[in-house]
Amino acid sequence: MTKDPLHTRLCDMLGIEYPIIAFTHCKDVAVSVINSGAFAVLGEAMHTPEEIAADISWIRERVDGRPFGVDLVLPASVPAEASLDQLMTKIPQEQRDYEQMIKRKYDVPDPKEGVDLHQWGGLNQALGRAQLEVLLDERVPVIASGLGSPAFLLDAAHERGIKVFGLVGKTRQAKRQLEAGVDVIIAQGYDAAGHTGAMGTFSIVADVAAIAGDTPIIAAGGVTTGRHLAAALCLGASGVWTGTLWLACRESDVDMIVKEKLLAATADDTSYSTCISGMTMRVLKCPWTEEWAKPEAPPVLPPPYQMLLSSDYIQGSNDHRRGDLMTEAAGQGVGFVTEMKPARQIVFDMVEEALTAFEEITGDPDDE
Amino acid sequence: MKNEAGGMRPGFDAAMAGKRAECDGGGLVAGTRFAGRQEFTGTLTGDYYDAGDPPWRWYLLRDLTSKPEGFPADAVWCESESIFLVEQR
Repeated sequence: MTKDPLHTRLCDMLGIEYPIIAFTHCKDVAVSVINSGAFAVLGEAMHTPEEIAADISWIRERVDGRPFGVDLVLPASVPAEASLDQLMTKIPQEQRDYEQMIKRKYDVPDPKEGVDLHQWGGLNQALGRAQLEVLLDERVPVIASGLGSPAFLLDAAHERGIKVFGLVGKTRQAKRQLEAGVDVIIAQGYDAAGHTGAMGTFSIVADVAAIAGDTPIIAAGGVTTGRHLAAALCLGASGVWTGTLWLACRESDVDMIVKEKLLAATADDTSYSTCISGMTMRVLKCPWTEEWAKPEAPPVLPPPYQMLLSSDYIQGSNDHRRGDLMTEAAGQGVGFVTEMKPARQIVFDMVEEALTAFEEITGDPDDE
Repeated sequence: MKNEAGGMRPGFDAAMAGKRAECDGGGLVAGTRFAGRQEFTGTLTGDYYDAGDPPWRWYLLRDLTSKPEGFPADAVWCESESIFLVEQR
């Protein structure tokens, strides 16, 4: 091959060597990935504006001017009524009883401290707005929106030299964001961890790439190997968005018990269920997901009621490090995450495997 | 969306009033660090808020004919770029 197939327009846009984007909530992972020649986006959706500013400063001190991004979950809709306090009184007894049955059956410990959902946001856009102001003031190189359209902030971002990424789960969302001038579209498939759309990664990436013109597309959902990277580029993407891949790496701050569960897990060990939050979400199977999947389980409640139900189980399991109960968001590519490697090695292994894949496909003339 | 003192500027857009629309909605799920998607279909009232600067516009969608099962409200504020007019599909 005469042209480096991994040097894409995304690399040129961001000034990076490899078209690999690590989405992580861990600053140490982000720094290691950035200093390896790839790109990292730090998930800050649950952080206060002050915490975000501190995290940006911490990363800047460690990456020698290399670019990075910050991801926020900009809301796209907000209920017109009902406060969290009102909602908490409305959980039906049937579901409360089922939650208590699970806690008794598995001896689920209580959280060490009361779970306060007020601190965790999610019901209005005021937090998103305040978080956004920090990113603009700090002129962070890339702002990524993990859900809602970032179109309204494009002018303000571009005036400050900031690139804006938008994550979509449907082609029509991509079309709207492309028309608005979003710099990069992340097309996320059903294979992904957490809350995903209904389209598979192969379908949505090709679909969005077909309408994207010169705008780079990033493939997200189930990407954990160099072969996935090569396939994504063949589909028309200019890079890949990876999350699960970094959860069990050496620098990750994920609990060691959960890391071991991730390393042992296959795609079959993930569950695409509404039982955690009331919205579809892909996580590692655990007693909570298994019990709510049974025919005798009551109907899952809509958000935020179901999260109110599951929060004690999740927090209690984590506080007491009960490996038999703990879970974590994980995509279908988790089966390829089998070693606790340094993030730098993950980057290099992925690059090498992708190049090998391309050579196998094209029959590198240098080898003949 | 009720805090007008917090930089929310209400208005009315007659051109949007009465139009059927779908909203690809959602937001941060309370208690997690993840986004959750929710879809709605209803009728735009024309009421809107512009939040902050640059303005972030939100339209009110009422008479919801489809919403997530058990959704607690009768109406939903939708971010303008997440609204798809039914006639435009």
